[in-house]
Amino acid sequence: MLKIIRQKVFDVMPSLLSEKVGLIISRLFGKKLAREIDDQVTDKFLELLLNALDLSFTLSSDFRRNIQNFKGRYLFTTSDKSAETYAVFNNGSMMVYDKQMNGWNVKVTFKDTPALKQFIFSRNQDILDSLLTNTVEVDGNLNYLYKFGFMSRDLMRRLGIQY
Amino acid sequence: MAKITLNDISLNDYGLTDRVQQLRKNYFRAMPELCIERPRLITQHSLEHGLFEKDRISILDKAKLYRYVLENRTPIVRHTKGYEKGMKLFEFKEPTLFAGSTTSKFKGVPIYPEFLGLTIWPELWTISERSSNPFHITDKEIEELNYDIFPHWMDKNILELARAWCANGGKCLPLMKLHERMVFFLASKPECISHTIPDFSKAIRIGLRGIINEAKEKKSKTTEPSKQEFYEAICEALEGIITYSKRLASAAESLADQESDSQLRQDLLEIASVYRNVPEFPAATFREGLTTIWVVWTSVHLENPNVGLSLGRLDQVLYDLYRKDIDKGIISLKDAIELVCCLWLKIGDHVPTMPETGEQLFGGTGSNQAITFGGVDMDGSDAVNDLTYVMLRATELLKLRDPNPNARYYQGINSKDYLRRLCEINIKTGAIPAIHNDKAVISALTSKGETAEQARDYGVIGCVEPGSSGRFYGHTGAILLNLTSALELTLFNGRHRHTGMDLLISMETGDPTSFKTFDEFKSAFETQTQWLVDQAVELNNVFGKIHQRYYSTPILSAFFEGPMEKGKDLIEGGAVINASGAAIIGLGDVSDSLSAIQKVVYEDKFVTFGQLMDAIQNNFKGYEKLRTRILDPSRTPKYGNEDPISETNTEWIIKMLDKAFDEKENYRDGKYRAGYWSMTMHAGFGRLTMALPSGRAARENFTSGITPVSAEAPELTKALNSVANLPSKYLSSGVALNLKYTPSSQDKQEMLDDFAASVEGYFDDAGGTRNGGMEIQFNVIDRQALLDIMNNPASNSELLVRVSGYTAYFKDLNPQMQKEIIDRTEYLLSTGTMIPYELLPIPERRR
Repeated sequence: MLKIIRQKVFDVMPSLLSEKVGLIISRLFGKKLAREIDDQVTDKFLELLLNALDLSFTLSSDFRRNIQNFKGRYLFTTSDKSAETYAVFNNGSMMVYDKQMNGWNVKVTFKDTPALKQFIFSRNQDILDSLLTNTVEVDGNLNYLYKFGFMSRDLMRRLGIQY
Repeated sequence: MAKITLNDISLNDYGLTDRVQQLRKNYFRAMPELCIERPRLITQHSLEHGLFEKDRISILDKAKLYRYVLENRTPIVRHTKGYEKGMKLFEFKEPTLFAGSTTSKFKGVPIYPEFLGLTIWPELWTISERSSNPFHITDKEIEELNYDIFPHWMDKNILELARAWCANGGKCLPLMKLHERMVFFLASKPECISHTIPDFSKAIRIGLRGIINEAKEKKSKTTEPSKQEFYEAICEALEGIITYSKRLASAAESLADQESDSQLRQDLLEIASVYRNVPEFPAATFREGLTTIWVVWTSVHLENPNVGLSLGRLDQVLYDLYRKDIDKGIISLKDAIELVCCLWLKIGDHVPTMPETGEQLFGGTGSNQAITFGGVDMDGSDAVNDLTYVMLRATELLKLRDPNPNARYYQGINSKDYLRRLCEINIKTGAIPAIHNDKAVISALTSKGETAEQARDYGVIGCVEPGSSGRFYGHTGAILLNLTSALELTLFNGRHRHTGMDLLISMETGDPTSFKTFDEFKSAFETQTQWLVDQAVELNNVFGKIHQRYYSTPILSAFFEGPMEKGKDLIEGGAVINASGAAIIGLGDVSDSLSAIQKVVYEDKFVTFGQLMDAIQNNFKGYEKLRTRILDPSRTPKYGNEDPISETNTEWIIKMLDKAFDEKENYRDGKYRAGYWSMTMHAGFGRLTMALPSGRAARENFTSGITPVSAEAPELTKALNSVANLPSKYLSSGVALNLKYTPSSQDKQEMLDDFAASVEGYFDDAGGTRNGGMEIQFNVIDRQALLDIMNNPASNSELLVRVSGYTAYFKDLNPQMQKEIIDRTEYLLSTGTMIPYELLPIPERRR
């Protein structure tokens, strides 16, 4: 039921708000994320990033093009498996789950949130550093990861967050 | 045997013409631009024809796809704009003599989504600003890639198709995982096969129409459906190339109509006239021969990624046309040099797609389009001709990264003047060409079953790998094997410090501290090496099978000996000679480690194995005295010093690896061959590896190719002999011996004498007691000059260096690779000894 309501919201929000208003709202809610990117990263980083993506997909039909006709399951998990988060994309919608689910297209196992942040928003060769230092491990289809990387950076660009 | 008719083989009276100077200036001014035309067209066609839904794509489907692209790509006669540093637009005139281009951009970066094109996806918004080798791209192009192109390929590139196959019954996911740990080996089929030399001679001799007619005739005479389909596919693909060349001719005519400058107008009309004839029909002139090669070359790149596709022996293929035109006065020497220069600049019109991670591992690489000069012909006679010298002069004048020049030299058959000329060009350019020893290379190839004629007609592929021109489909860079990982697995009983002591990677071969003899250690090392070879080969064969399902190559197959006769694509084993190649990285480091263990632990009992293990675990901290002793070549055997212990160990390693690979079969019923060249992988793998028993510190670069470890071989003659003493039959996939000579500030003639003598001595077979060294390549520059450019790249942005096989602009290399080149042993030729120096610290990584 919740899913259906969410989908309805997804469908109508962009038509109710202009892209510009949507962007202002996204930027407002993206401030915490900006602090995480800019400053000391905390355990909330992944949650904030996924929430920011979710919100922007809801408010911007332009940004939502990224996930139209796209199905993908991402599992983000810590090395000690103390936390598992799924991001599920399904033809224009995005859902985040903290419970165990079956299957994923790509699994990202990270030592800690700074390592994850470094990995997703790396510039100038830090991806390799993450792999070299074994702080991040990837299983599954790498192209899903590349797409996620693009969407995350595209979001930063839209929100005006330097990384 | 061709007679040399030139009065001066250096051709010093000939320089760059105004036309070529203008072209060269723009070439260096322009930054690379990502080109999305190819992925756009193949995606459109694949969607329209349901290719994404197929679980096997036929060769005919592929041929129709390429025909569609050839018939719809932009026919560019002359580029008019590029982007310079800071990604600022600049406009220019391109008065080239060759129309057509690899991409739609002036200096293009073609994207192959079937392979690793999607790796640049995350950085599309920042790729034009990245610190290492940025690529220009427009916002519109980014959006098209993101929304309309890349999404269709997410499950459809070679790597992911292989992963899906492994998951669905192929049972090879552990191999994929091992591969993605990056420290053991890299299998390059997800990126390309490419590494080979097409046969241009047939296209020049009978034209593409002649090949089509041959295919039609063969099709009519066979009843086998697979062969009928193959021949039909050849016709489809070649019709596409002919259409493309006619479209270029039409475009040139249109431009001529609009051109007010009479010379430029005349140039355009000549281009149109040439492209109306070739490559459809036989080439009648030298220019038409060059044009045939260029159009075929761009078409081959449309199908195969621009990684290591090589040009072969163009001085042989084109000689008859050159001779005829010169003798008839159709062209002058000046014209010939200008034509070759124009083609060389065109050949460099593209660079490989490279994500920022790739920049770290392969930074600064071009497309490694090797070209080969000189040597002997198929009968064993001197093949050096006037055109060889024309092409060498063009190479010397232009000093380009691509094509990657390689010269063959057969001692006693090729003239000493020719060798001196090769050395002279090395001194003048500082880096090119690499020189190959025909005697040793031919011997290596015949030991692998090639006939003497086939072996004598070898060309150089990619970096330094030898293969019979137009007959050898060898994917010479299929596997990049980190040999130090086998050592690591031996030292840590099947584990690797990079992946952690909790994870058993291979199998337990015993705690080395319990080994009573050196032979026990060697036996364990052999077991671990064999295991690593098994994994790498098995995964390469999986990728090969995926290529067979999805990636036939009708265009390349049309220009090869074998496929037309067999009615079979190259990927199915159509070539006359089939093989796969492995490049072994870290030979010197492993050899020195074995020798150190043998001498320091087992013979001299200077330390116990346990103490040695403790030392490498602590990066020799607290073990400085031990490290000093290990690093001293007078106290511990080091490869490159003609020490019997070291020579025995090095030969044992290469023999063991040759056997391990030779016993393996690839997916095309060919064998595997091992070679010792490393591109920049010795820097990349080095970063992943902790201290070694050789005394090498943690994270240091490994030694390049077959070269002795930097600073460990102080005497040039001994260093050369140590390499030359290794039997070439164990090195059949080529070697790269990297040497650095100090440029002479005094007597240039004396330096040239010494230079040539060093090559002669290295190639010498010592009265038949050895093969002599196979290959040698140089950087003729001193340490301080490199340090200056490292600190101020703009001071010499065109400086060429030899890496470990390929040629690069020094400024484009990542800091770790720049350090490796600066740290290489530098010899003063007048004394034959090393100039003492300290290794540079490991550079901070760019943030």
